[in-house]
Amino acid sequence: MDAFQGLLAGFQVALSWEGILFVLIGVVVGTLIGMMPGLGPISAIAIMIPITYGMDPAPALVMMAGVYYGAVFGGSTSSILLNAPGISGTVATAFDGYPMAQQGKAGKALAIAAIASFFGGTVSVIMLMLLAPALASVAISFGPPAYFALMLMGLTAISSLSEGSTIKAMISAVAGVMVVTIGIDPQTGTQRFTFGNVNLFDGFDFLVIALGLFALAEVCMLIMNRKNRNLSDDQKLGSLKVTKSDLKEMSGPMTRQSFVGFMLGVLPGAGATIASFISYIFEKKISKNPEEFGKGSIKGLAAPESSNNAATSGAFVPLLSLGIPGSGTTAVMLGAFLVLGVQPGPLLMSDRPEIFWGIIASMYLGNIFLLVLNLPLIPYLAKILSIPRPLLISLVIMFSLIGVYSISFNTFDLYMLLVFGALGFAMRVFSFPAPPFILAFILGGMMEQAFRQSMTISNGSLGIFVNSPLPLALIIVSLLSLTIPAFIKWRSRRLSLKR
Amino acid sequence: MLSTMNRRIGLLLFIIASVYLYLSFQLPNYPYAPVDADVIPKGLGILMLILSVALFFSRAIETEAEKAKRNIPKKELLVLLAVFAMIFLYILLFEMVGFIVMTAVFIFFCSWFLGYEKWKTNIIVSILFPLGMYIIFVFALGISLPNGILPI
Amino acid sequence: MKKTWLTAILAAGALTLAGCNSDNSSEGASGEEGGSFEPSKTIEVVAPAGAGGGWDTTAREVARIFGETGIIEENLTVINKEGGGGAIGWAYIHGQDGSAHNMFVASPPLMFVPLNGQSEHGHEDFTPLANVIADYGAFAVSADSEWDDLNDLFDQMKEDPESVTVVGTSAPGSMDHMQFVRIAKAAGVDPTKIKYVSAQDGGALTSVLNGSVDVFSTGVGETVEQVRAGNIKVLGITAEERMEGEVLSEFPTAIEQGIDESFVNWRGFFGPPNMDQAAVDYYEEKFKELSESEEFAEVRKKYGWSEMYMDGEEYEEFLDNEKQEIQALLEEIGLGN
Repeated sequence: MDAFQGLLAGFQVALSWEGILFVLIGVVVGTLIGMMPGLGPISAIAIMIPITYGMDPAPALVMMAGVYYGAVFGGSTSSILLNAPGISGTVATAFDGYPMAQQGKAGKALAIAAIASFFGGTVSVIMLMLLAPALASVAISFGPPAYFALMLMGLTAISSLSEGSTIKAMISAVAGVMVVTIGIDPQTGTQRFTFGNVNLFDGFDFLVIALGLFALAEVCMLIMNRKNRNLSDDQKLGSLKVTKSDLKEMSGPMTRQSFVGFMLGVLPGAGATIASFISYIFEKKISKNPEEFGKGSIKGLAAPESSNNAATSGAFVPLLSLGIPGSGTTAVMLGAFLVLGVQPGPLLMSDRPEIFWGIIASMYLGNIFLLVLNLPLIPYLAKILSIPRPLLISLVIMFSLIGVYSISFNTFDLYMLLVFGALGFAMRVFSFPAPPFILAFILGGMMEQAFRQSMTISNGSLGIFVNSPLPLALIIVSLLSLTIPAFIKWRSRRLSLKR
Repeated sequence: MLSTMNRRIGLLLFIIASVYLYLSFQLPNYPYAPVDADVIPKGLGILMLILSVALFFSRAIETEAEKAKRNIPKKELLVLLAVFAMIFLYILLFEMVGFIVMTAVFIFFCSWFLGYEKWKTNIIVSILFPLGMYIIFVFALGISLPNGILPI
Repeated sequence: MKKTWLTAILAAGALTLAGCNSDNSSEGASGEEGGSFEPSKTIEVVAPAGAGGGWDTTAREVARIFGETGIIEENLTVINKEGGGGAIGWAYIHGQDGSAHNMFVASPPLMFVPLNGQSEHGHEDFTPLANVIADYGAFAVSADSEWDDLNDLFDQMKEDPESVTVVGTSAPGSMDHMQFVRIAKAAGVDPTKIKYVSAQDGGALTSVLNGSVDVFSTGVGETVEQVRAGNIKVLGITAEERMEGEVLSEFPTAIEQGIDESFVNWRGFFGPPNMDQAAVDYYEEKFKELSESEEFAEVRKKYGWSEMYMDGEEYEEFLDNEKQEIQALLEEIGLGN
């Protein structure tokens, strides 16, 4: 079959000395850039574009792909160590990764993240290889009504993202959507809550919110507790010690969430962020001990990490087989293709099989490189936490500021970072959970747009959400996920009352 | 009336929601969308009003752990404010003074202020960190950072 | 409202006049001094958007060709000033008053964004250097659509405007929307009854392919690959005459379908306000040389762009006319500011 020959040609590209070298360069650069708080795959790819000018397209694109998934791979490091997610896909990683690091298991957390990433990356490459052409139709099956239903499904998870007061969790979530309404509304061009300030026209960048609510708020907590003794035994920090039982524990989430992540990655617009959140919630919902989540659960760390890496490979499906960039990152990636004179799209597979399959084949190699390179680095990375508190605090503040500045080169965003830092701290002090805020911020904007696109298409009729099977099915699932747990709770309460 | 913290926060949120709602009603009308730009904000504003009232009247009593969390000594709050002020000054000045100088000054004083006493290490880190970052960003990654008063 | 427009025209007129004046005087001066301007340090080219987009690509390719061919010997660096749909980058350049070592790449949003009230600065606030390339809009539908040309589509829209939804990447009142409105109006469709939705992140093409929306208003370049694969068909493009190149030459223009209207997505370079006339002359010439070079012809071919060189003066006149037309159209559909 053609595909098989294509794959052979692809492996020839990937396994040539040139291919190996450029995959290696790509993943090393990607993972290093990804580790920097604030620098994610977008900047990583953009930085590499000028370097590839005039290169042979196949090795150049193999390298660019390596930079992309390498950056996602490396992105978990700052989430785990500093609670400073550098990219949106690793916010959920911090939920359990950071608590683990705080318990003196930083090395272990990083190792689990690396293994889960490797696993998610590899499983999804296999799926990419087998299914890429077939999945192209799945990637375009979602219209605005289906996206609305998908985002709704994500939002129903908010209650399970927090403990304590449901009212407070809901307030956080509503506030998150309120913040995302700031800016120019794409459907009408209306300025909402911008007060004519040009810096607000595009709304808030995700990173400003994430670094403010998580990293700076954490800095505040560290300042309060700076006199407490430094983290537990320094030597243990770097120990990788992932035991057999740990591996067993994470095998379930990794396998399931690699599939979930890949499928969500395939959908344009969904991507690694939504995948990682949904995977996290998914595992929490089916777990026998959901109360462990958020306190350093291995499952809670492995799930989003395998999912976000799988979603990254998934995003190559619409890009390579349709020429549709599903996210800002893949849009830049598309730009990189064009600069090299390669047009990704439905014909790429037949026109340039060596590129199509070369990229896919190189991902096997790239993922192995990432694991082999990252594991030995972990003890050194983990040492970051043994830096004396006052110094560490200053450095984390600096990292957050540079991260935001390097996206927009605009000091306004830095002031906003400070504002959200203060908000994040206040939310902690008064026990308002931050995860619902950030999830609502990510999903809310897309949900509103999808809803209003649908309504324009249907001339204002709500029937559009129930008239076709896909959105209907998703809406039913989200309703069930809301009602079933409530029903179970109610029944168990009644049973216990009877007794 | 404002006996509990929940009540105070509820009131504050009620005010914020009212302002937000007021602003939503000021949004201009766009003729071509069945669901205009103001619909969702209005919904959110109303939802927030309801939630703030619910919080105000909620009978949930703060747990001990929650109370402990918001029990911040005045002195610590001042320290926090001082750090925020330092960050503010940094943002205000760093495009003018330059990344390297301002970062070095910030790291040194912030660390010292928070109680780091090994001033030799502090000086070394304060100089090497910004230099290293500057070299990585500007020369390796091609992302320009303000050079300010320094020639490079 | 009307008043600001008037001032804008007056200001533009004044600028042109000022341009003419200094033109004369510098001609006199250059008689004595010779070439008069040479860049003395790195030239900064601003792309008022993030990396990877149209502005960024144009700026980087132009900077690269200038460097590789040696047309400009001084270095050119591209910097990205993202935000506000360009407004932040424009404000930045506006602050470099008189500098001869700054410029930025622009295209129709430089008119649309201020017209939508989202930027204080429009093209008349800057010094036009040269236009270099033209791109055109295309209206595409799914390959199995019942419409085969623009008239089929517009007939349906005249009959039942509610049944047709147009999708584009930009917000209403901006390029993807207005290029469609402009052509549709010329065909006799009521411009106030056009349904338009905006979709980001590849959502626009996806929605056309899965049938959620009917028409995709976009750039010609974005359609080629999908047409080759047989996924969509292009009903018409906004160019004056047929384009050159494989696939591209098969796209019928609106004009040849009896709709007498066109729209060009021009792309060129502007300097800060009050740039010295000698510097303007220098850049005009360099851009002309670039536009005529074989190397840049390769670049145009790679991205499916057309050649469209205009010097500063011609450019300004062209833009003033365009802006007037768009303004009138925006007011007609009630989006004027």
